[in-house]
Amino acid sequence: MAKTNERLWIFDKIRSFGDKIFLVHQDYQYSFTEFCDAIDAAQKKLTENNVTKSEVVGILSDYSFNSLAYFFALFQNGNIISPITVTVNEEIEDRLNEGFINKVLRFSSDGVKISDHESAKQTHSIINNLNEKNQSGLILFSSGSTGKPKAMVHNLDNLLNTYRDKRPKSLIMLVLLLFDHIGGLNTLFNAIATGSTVVIPDSRDATEICKLIEKYRVNILPASPTFLNLILMSEADKQFDLSSLRIITYGTEPMSESLLSRIQHKFSKVKLIQTFGTSETGISHTTSKSSASTLIKIDDPNIEYKIVDDELWLRSKTQILGYLNYSMEKFTEDGWFATGDFVEQKTDGYLKIIGRKQEVINVGGQKVLPAEVESVLMEIPEIADCLVLGATNAITGQAVIAQIVLSENANDINISKIVRRYCKNHLDLFKVPTKVKVVEKIEYSTRFKKIRNSEN
Amino acid sequence: MKGKIEKLIINALVDYNEELENPAYGNPDEKTRLYSSEGGMDSIALVGFIADLEERLAVEFNKDIILADERAMSQKRSPFLSVQLLANYIENLLLESEE
Repeated sequence: MAKTNERLWIFDKIRSFGDKIFLVHQDYQYSFTEFCDAIDAAQKKLTENNVTKSEVVGILSDYSFNSLAYFFALFQNGNIISPITVTVNEEIEDRLNEGFINKVLRFSSDGVKISDHESAKQTHSIINNLNEKNQSGLILFSSGSTGKPKAMVHNLDNLLNTYRDKRPKSLIMLVLLLFDHIGGLNTLFNAIATGSTVVIPDSRDATEICKLIEKYRVNILPASPTFLNLILMSEADKQFDLSSLRIITYGTEPMSESLLSRIQHKFSKVKLIQTFGTSETGISHTTSKSSASTLIKIDDPNIEYKIVDDELWLRSKTQILGYLNYSMEKFTEDGWFATGDFVEQKTDGYLKIIGRKQEVINVGGQKVLPAEVESVLMEIPEIADCLVLGATNAITGQAVIAQIVLSENANDINISKIVRRYCKNHLDLFKVPTKVKVVEKIEYSTRFKKIRNSEN
Repeated sequence: MKGKIEKLIINALVDYNEELENPAYGNPDEKTRLYSSEGGMDSIALVGFIADLEERLAVEFNKDIILADERAMSQKRSPFLSVQLLANYIENLLLESEE
């Protein structure tokens, strides 16, 4: 049981920060001491519900004081944990199945409900290995090219250990990303390891975020280029006092020079830092050349990098153990991971991130898989064939657009309206096509693959 | 011409609101907020609305006007703040395209 003790440091830290504020959510402020107590209470509830160490537990929730208490109680026990934030039932079920999840936590105003989940699949060697070594795991999902989400497993002991030597600080950070995103978890782990405060928003609307920054005097805002653009567009920066901000970090999608200079102009006293990470490798420590520059250096003792055919490859000490439902084709035998990001190498070891290799559509930092939208569109009787692709959009970076071939008897209809209305009920809003074009036919390649050239 | 453009935007907004169901767009006028910290729609809704509007402008003025581009984003005040500002912006684009 030596491994259990190796996990104690984080709980010692949490306890040692005492009355410092750990988390702010829905106008409540919780101290580290209260968090300790909540973890103990969660522990009791887990025991009462017979959640055993070897189980894979899905937490169906976004960040909240409670969901985090359960996350750390499960970590304490050495469980394998999967935060799940999707809300469409089918997508939840997919993740529960692909993640071999056998216990599910659901949160409501009445508290937590713990139930069993019978996975179609029984067990997996990665899960067994973690259990045998009594180590905790973290399952995150990313969009897979076949439509099923890819389930990847981190060694959570190993991942959290990289935060162990962080020195105490008293910063206030906002967590913009959702519970199931490596970037948001990175912010959270940093806060916990340094005794800093995290502010959790209820809505990711630009105005709402600015309101929170003013109210709680937030110092660090981890954001995406699109999100920062939304702040500028809404002029929320004028309405609220954002002078507490010291650092804005941006990542998850390429930053354009023009947007960066507009942001710099508005936030002249704020340090702008680009971050880089992948769900597979964790977040790398990077240095931006300056606040005005999109050039970055990867200077992380835990991460090596190289560039192969313009693509960035990483080898990290915190990379995933593997996928539960996907091949390791993006990893080499000796542990290099092809990130799918195109980069340009500049002088002095600086890199410029150019864009994604894959065809995934990036709507304001949220990823949309064309195949998923297409499959929903094909459920509409008026549609005979369709193709979904990304179009460059100045507001959300990319927008989802659909080309549609109408069914024979579908004439004189407002297909845009039909598509939006149908998709709204079957997809997350950001996945709904914003533009629908009626075409004669969809182009296929000779191998019966849709030709999906993004529109500019 | 500006009045005509405003009317076109308002009509587009009323139609679009059949899906949006935003009470703020029950009876829109030139002061109605589109994307702003003081109310309006979210960014994804805005992208769809602009796509609709571009189509209407193409029919009405027989011109392909791009509303959401780098130029719109670089304006001192976002043209998407209100119906009026958007109408001004569109009028400018149309006048320019005639030159």
